Amino acid sequence: MTRLARIALPTLVLTALALGVGACGEKKDDLAPESAEKFVLMLDFFPNADHAGIYAAQAKGYFEDVGLDVEIRQPPDPAAPIKQVAAGQVDLAISYEPEVLQARDRDVRIVSIGALVREPLTSIQSLPSADIKTPADLAGKTVGTAGIPYQSAYLQTVLDKARVNPDKVKERNVGFNLASSLLAKKVDATLGGFWNYEGVQLQQEGRDPQIIKIQDAGVPTYNELVFVANADALDREGGRLRAFLGAMSRGTLALERNPDTGIDALLKANKDLDPKLQRESVKVTLPLLLPAKGRPYGYQDPREWDAFVSWMRENRLVKTITTAESALTNDLLPGEGPGK
Amino acid sequence: MRPYRANIKRRPAPRGDFSMTILKRYLPAAALLALALVAWWWIASLEAVDDLLVASPGEVLGAFGDDHELLLEQSWVTLQEVLLGLAIAVVAGVGAAVAMHLVSPLRDAAYPLLVASQAIPIFVLAPLFVLAFGFGIGPKLAMVALICFFPVTVAMLSGLDSVDRELLRLTRSLGASRLRVLRLVELPASLPQLFSGLRIAATVSVIGAVFGEVAGADAGLGRLIFLGNNQLQTPRVYAGVVILTVMAVGLFALVALLERLAVPWKRQGGTI
Repeated sequence: MTRLARIALPTLVLTALALGVGACGEKKDDLAPESAEKFVLMLDFFPNADHAGIYAAQAKGYFEDVGLDVEIRQPPDPAAPIKQVAAGQVDLAISYEPEVLQARDRDVRIVSIGALVREPLTSIQSLPSADIKTPADLAGKTVGTAGIPYQSAYLQTVLDKARVNPDKVKERNVGFNLASSLLAKKVDATLGGFWNYEGVQLQQEGRDPQIIKIQDAGVPTYNELVFVANADALDREGGRLRAFLGAMSRGTLALERNPDTGIDALLKANKDLDPKLQRESVKVTLPLLLPAKGRPYGYQDPREWDAFVSWMRENRLVKTITTAESALTNDLLPGEGPGK
Repeated sequence: MRPYRANIKRRPAPRGDFSMTILKRYLPAAALLALALVAWWWIASLEAVDDLLVASPGEVLGAFGDDHELLLEQSWVTLQEVLLGLAIAVVAGVGAAVAMHLVSPLRDAAYPLLVASQAIPIFVLAPLFVLAFGFGIGPKLAMVALICFFPVTVAMLSGLDSVDRELLRLTRSLGASRLRVLRLVELPASLPQLFSGLRIAATVSVIGAVFGEVAGADAGLGRLIFLGNNQLQTPRVYAGVVILTVMAVGLFALVALLERLAVPWKRQGGTI
């Protein structure tokens, strides 16, 4: 073997291996021109029960019916949905009302065009051994949070309403490890877990969690998950966004008629999801995915939003905005607005 | 010059002792592994440890049984990312090292940046990669390649620097061109160092793939572990981790095998 061959051989082997592997697993390039109208939706998190209506609409072909080829993407980080929609990288993103308001406060050009989950899912969760039945029981306890400032403010408001001295409650930032720090008894309670997800999970594992919804403990209600669009693209993209929300309305109704349409599609697209957990979670979330009585699908109550802005101002979470006016529009909802 | 050692060969072990040799070689590793397993089992069985948080080895075995289809599917996705990313890192790393070696202003300019780049937290880069490479396999490859690029480049550079000066002078005085010196002397001489860099790259490459997948992926072991953690499916999470470690060890062994083929003189105990 020549010296050159000695060098070349491993290089060749490695390259061949890589090429072989690459050829087998070639992914479809999404840069290819599409004849159907591509519509990119970025989720707030990994796909889960909150998104069952979206998967139902897709499985039923409701998006296709309105000429949209919806591609569902997961965010690379929690801040990505708003950033990407503001940068025009995606057509629509799912985020949280508090995040939308904070973005508007920094003059990020986005607008919420409809609610996906119209009430807070954030909750205070504890195990029976901690004996926290009401917010007043938090006195002397340690509460784990994800380190998100507005969620820490929830805790302060909850303590304030329950007349608990905040000095008597220790807040500990546990990051993403809400459930595990609770189970490991590193904290007595957590604030930040969703009652329809982590709560259901603990219930299914037989841990009998005690759950206090934050809206029941003095925090003003808000839309947990909302559809966020680029404010500058609203005129140009209004038709497509309206079409999307129309299909979502139909998808959510289909989910109500038969939850399996959404769940099966969700599980088929994401084989690593826990079917038992997702089924139960869809069941308890469904009422909040459906429109409130007498309101169109996705309706966002401007007075609730304003009240939430006031609360955020009181807690110094926003500085420049005084109302939610620039943060939301109901004009694109099914049967609403000038362009219907 | 170094002493001539090509004739000093290792005494071959008598055939009958072959299984004994194997046993001797791997016994310590096996014993340590067994000890770790026992400790794991013991910790998992403790009353104070919540079984949702720590899965026992038995539960993990169960997950391998129940989820084998899913695990296999996701492993394949991750393996592709690792191998392709590693290949990119090797090509780019060797190329960069040779370029820096040949053009010293380039080296002066790029080397400090190369070192500094290692301090950037991966999760800052993940969203940027998504922005640059979209949502397919691109950002994962970039992540693996980035993590593996550094050890490959640094090892290759120091390999190129380690060439016997006398040998360099000799070949130059015999009229060899710069590229010829590179091809005949410097590249072969740097191979042992390159391979030690490759060993490191092979083991850390899986970490790159996991980071890439956690930052938004439709499939892969990284996503499986992240989601499993989120769903309190601890046995499945551990099964994913076991596969990742096996992958890293396998890649390490593959590099060692390639090294035996590419650098036979090292094994024979001789010099170039």
